[in-house]
Amino acid sequence: MSEPMSSVGLGEMRVSNDPSEVLIAFGLGSCLGIGMYDPVAKVGGMIHVVLPEQKSGNDPNIGKFVDTGIPLLLQKVVAKGGIQSRLIVRMAGGANMLVSPGLSGIFEIGTRNITKATEVFKELKIKIQKEEVGGQVGRTVRLYISDGRMTVRMMGAQERDLGAV
Amino acid sequence: MAPENRKVDENFISKMRIIAARGFKNSAKGLSMMIGHEMTVSSPDVNMVPLANIADMLGGPENDAVGVYLRIEGNLSGQMMLIIPYQQALEFCDMVIDIPPGTTQELGKMERSALSEVGNLTGAFFLNAIAELTGISSQPSPPAVMVDMVGSILDVVVATMGAISDHVLMFDAAFKIGERNLQADFRIIPDPATLEKLTIAEIKEQ
Repeated sequence: MSEPMSSVGLGEMRVSNDPSEVLIAFGLGSCLGIGMYDPVAKVGGMIHVVLPEQKSGNDPNIGKFVDTGIPLLLQKVVAKGGIQSRLIVRMAGGANMLVSPGLSGIFEIGTRNITKATEVFKELKIKIQKEEVGGQVGRTVRLYISDGRMTVRMMGAQERDLGAV
Repeated sequence: MAPENRKVDENFISKMRIIAARGFKNSAKGLSMMIGHEMTVSSPDVNMVPLANIADMLGGPENDAVGVYLRIEGNLSGQMMLIIPYQQALEFCDMVIDIPPGTTQELGKMERSALSEVGNLTGAFFLNAIAELTGISSQPSPPAVMVDMVGSILDVVVATMGAISDHVLMFDAAFKIGERNLQADFRIIPDPATLEKLTIAEIKEQ
């Protein structure tokens, strides 16, 4: 692949209108990778959120949380020329990696992340167009700024369009 | 207090390194007996590390690996994880099940069970050594085996510790078998309350 890859790490977000750029969140477990893309302005952004909500209110890392991260990503995509009503929103991740009788219950952060993200988008009146979430599997997601294609890859499998199962 | 705000006291770190080194050494002893090959401890250490980087230290978040996860329960609490690159995990299975090298081609129920035993024993031997050294006893929870990308496996730690801090105090070592070029990483992330207990624990000389 010749496109420059921009890794979007834990708690990070990145917005781009460079058609040669590919935004990637590697190895999402319970974390969510959320992509927003305006197909007319050809502006896209991705966030790699870790936890559902910022409880203490004093964590400076806004991108780490679903409830603070999504509105900020939206703001940044709009600031770069995206129009909210045109945005294609897709998300992947939110797995519950640990399924063990001795450890269940306390590790449902994946599910809580998904629930919170769904709530936040509903409040923002933005439809989530496609999602591949939950389960017990890690995922890598890519957003191609050139054409807005968003892909998912799991261990031992090929990269394919998100939601194309 | 969030750990990154705590002044990382060199005396405290030195003491944790003594405790960690003893634990890792005992784990290696247990592993050597279990697999019938001499395992050595490589670069045991205790450091404050950023949560965002813990997957990078294992060759990148998209590498395939096996993670055996255990909670520490009892008078100490925390998390332990044995992480083995996928291909090497297959070789570990050959040794544990005692079959010729190269026999294991995939991780089925039996292989996962064998690896969970490896993790269980690594954790139990570690905690036993800590108990002998400090008089504080604890035991591992039942193990959970994950076969996936490194990043997604470590999300378990990131998600549980992330609400508390962006940095964690991590006990870290690799176990190696020289002649087979195999390596397993073992990481322990004690809960903050446990660190307090270890700080005031009296270390018994042996």
